[in-house]
Amino acid sequence: MRLPLAALLMVCGIAVPLVVSEFWTFIAIEVLVFALYASSFNLLLGYGGMLSFGHAAFFGVGGYATALLVKKGGLSVGLALVGAPLAAAAVATVIGYFCVRRSGIYFAMLTFACQMLLYTIALKASGLTGGDDGITGIRPTGILSNSIAYYYFTLFLVGMALYLMWRLVNSPFGYALRALRTNPGRLRYVGVPVRAHQWVTFVIAGGLAGLAGGLFALSIGSIFPSWLNWTASATPVVMAVLGGLHSFVGPMLGAAVYVILEVVISGHTEYWPLAMGCIILVLVLVLPEGLTGWRSLQARLRPFGGSGGR
Amino acid sequence: MLLFLISAGLSLIFGVSRILNFAHGVLFMLGAYLAVTIALLGPGTMTAYLAALIGGTAGLFVVGALIETGLLRRIYHAPHEFQLLLTFALVFIFGDVVKLLWGREDHSMAVPSLLTGATRGLGLTFPTYRLFLIVFGLLVAAVLWYLLQRTRWGIFVRAATMDRQMLSALGVNTHRLFTGVFAVGAGLAGLGGALAAPIVAVGPGLHVQVIIDAFVVVVIGGMGSVFGALVGSLLVGIVNAFGLLAFPSLAVVLTFALMAVILIVRPWGLFGSQE
Repeated sequence: MRLPLAALLMVCGIAVPLVVSEFWTFIAIEVLVFALYASSFNLLLGYGGMLSFGHAAFFGVGGYATALLVKKGGLSVGLALVGAPLAAAAVATVIGYFCVRRSGIYFAMLTFACQMLLYTIALKASGLTGGDDGITGIRPTGILSNSIAYYYFTLFLVGMALYLMWRLVNSPFGYALRALRTNPGRLRYVGVPVRAHQWVTFVIAGGLAGLAGGLFALSIGSIFPSWLNWTASATPVVMAVLGGLHSFVGPMLGAAVYVILEVVISGHTEYWPLAMGCIILVLVLVLPEGLTGWRSLQARLRPFGGSGGR
Repeated sequence: MLLFLISAGLSLIFGVSRILNFAHGVLFMLGAYLAVTIALLGPGTMTAYLAALIGGTAGLFVVGALIETGLLRRIYHAPHEFQLLLTFALVFIFGDVVKLLWGREDHSMAVPSLLTGATRGLGLTFPTYRLFLIVFGLLVAAVLWYLLQRTRWGIFVRAATMDRQMLSALGVNTHRLFTGVFAVGAGLAGLGGALAAPIVAVGPGLHVQVIIDAFVVVVIGGMGSVFGALVGSLLVGIVNAFGLLAFPSLAVVLTFALMAVILIVRPWGLFGSQE
C-alpha cells in the first residue's frame, strides 16, 4: 500500500460520517470492524499460508470478553475493550500451540474443532454467557453512545491496528512469514524457527480479530453464541478471498463490498445467503484472485504471464 | 446408524478427492425433503415409504453427480480455501432453496404402519422403527463393505485414497471414478435423510447439527475409512448418550474435545491411513 492510497483511505474514513446518514454511519462502523477482522485473517492465510477455519473463534472470544467485562465486571467501555484482544490472544496462544503442529487441511480442521469447542462452551455455560440468549444491553454509555463518536473511536482503533499490521508485514518478521508460506522447509534450513513464527502470527491475528469482535459487540450492543458456530467461520474467508489474498488492502476492500452487498441485498430479499452462495461460486470459479487481482485474470490469458501473487 | 450413513459418504468423498464437503449436511436435508414429498403420495403405506427411500437416494445420487461434474471438478487443484468456500456456497444456496421450494415450516413424514409401535425382546421394549434403522444401517454397511472390498470399483476407490496420480497413470479413468464416488456419497446422505425423515422435524435448520456430528465421526474414525465411520458413529453415539446421562451440559463439549485431541495426536484418525 503506497502512501497516497493510505492517505486517501484515511481522508475517506474521516469524511464518511460527515456526508452520510446515521444508518450508513452504522454500516461504516461495521465495514471498519470487518476490515480489521478480514485483514487479521489475511495475516494468517495470505501472508502465513495458514488456512484457519476457526478464526471466528477469536472474533467471538473478543466479543464475549468485552461483553462480560462490561456486564459482569462493571468496567467502562474503553477498559473492557482492552480485554478483547488480550483474551483472544490468550486463547490463540493455547490453540495456536497445537495448531501450528499441523498443516494444510488438518490445520483447518483443528482450528475448526477448537472453534466448535468454544461455541459449545458459550452455548452451555449459560450462567456466564447467557447460553442461547447471549448477552445484550452492552451499548456504550456517555460520549461513545453517539454513533458518530463511536465511528471515530472505531476508526482510530482500527486504523492503529492496521498500521501496526502494515509495519509487521513489512518488517523482517513479515518477510520471513511470506517466505514461510512459499517454502517452509527451506526457511527451516536457513535457521528460522518456523513453528514459533507461525505461532506468534497466530496469536497476533487472534488478538486483532478479538479487538474487531469487541468493537462489533459494543456497536450492536449484544453478542450471541451463533457468532462462534461453524456457519460463521466462512465469513472472514469470503471477505479476504473476495478482496484478494496476498494483498494488504484486498481484505479491507472485500469486507467493505461484503458488508454493503449484505445491506443492499437483505433490503430487497430475505434470501441473502442464496445470493452470497452464488457470489462465492462466481468468485471461486471465475475470479480466484479477488477484486484486487482482476489484472492477473488478463495476465493468465497471456502465455508465460505473471501469476498475480506477490 | 443414520450418522453412519452420512459419515460414510463424507469419509469416502474426503478419502478420494481430499475435499472436506461442508455441503454434506444439506445433501442429507435435501434427501429428507425429497422423501417427505414423495411419501405424501400415500401417507403411512409401505409402498410410498419405499418409494421415498429410493427417491431420496436416487435423487441425491443425481444431484451429487451434477455437483461433481459441474463444480468440484474445476477446483481439485485449487488451494484448500477455495474448495472449502465452494462447499460452503452450496450450504448457503441449498439452505435457501429448500426454503423457497418447501417453505420455512417443519414437515413430518408418517412411519409406515408396518414399522410403527414397539418391539419386545430380551426383556426390553424398543421402538420398531429405530430397530429397523439399526438393521437397515448394518445392511448398508455390509453392502458398502462388499462394494469396496470385493468389486473392481472398490479397488479403484481404495487405490485412489492412497495415490490418485498413480491410479490415473495406470490408466484408470479417475474423472469418472471421482464423479461416481461423490454421487455415491451424496446418495448415502440422501438415503440417511430419507430414513431420518419420519423421526426428525424436516425443516430448514436440519443440516446444521448433522454435518457437525458427521465431521466429528469422520475425524475420529479416520478420513477415507468406511469402517472408521462405523466405529466413529457408534463411539460418538455412546459418548453422547452416556454424556447426556452423566453430565448433560458437558456432553457436546466432550465430543469436540475428543475431536481436537484426535487431530492433535493422530490426525489421520483411528482407522485412517497415515499420509
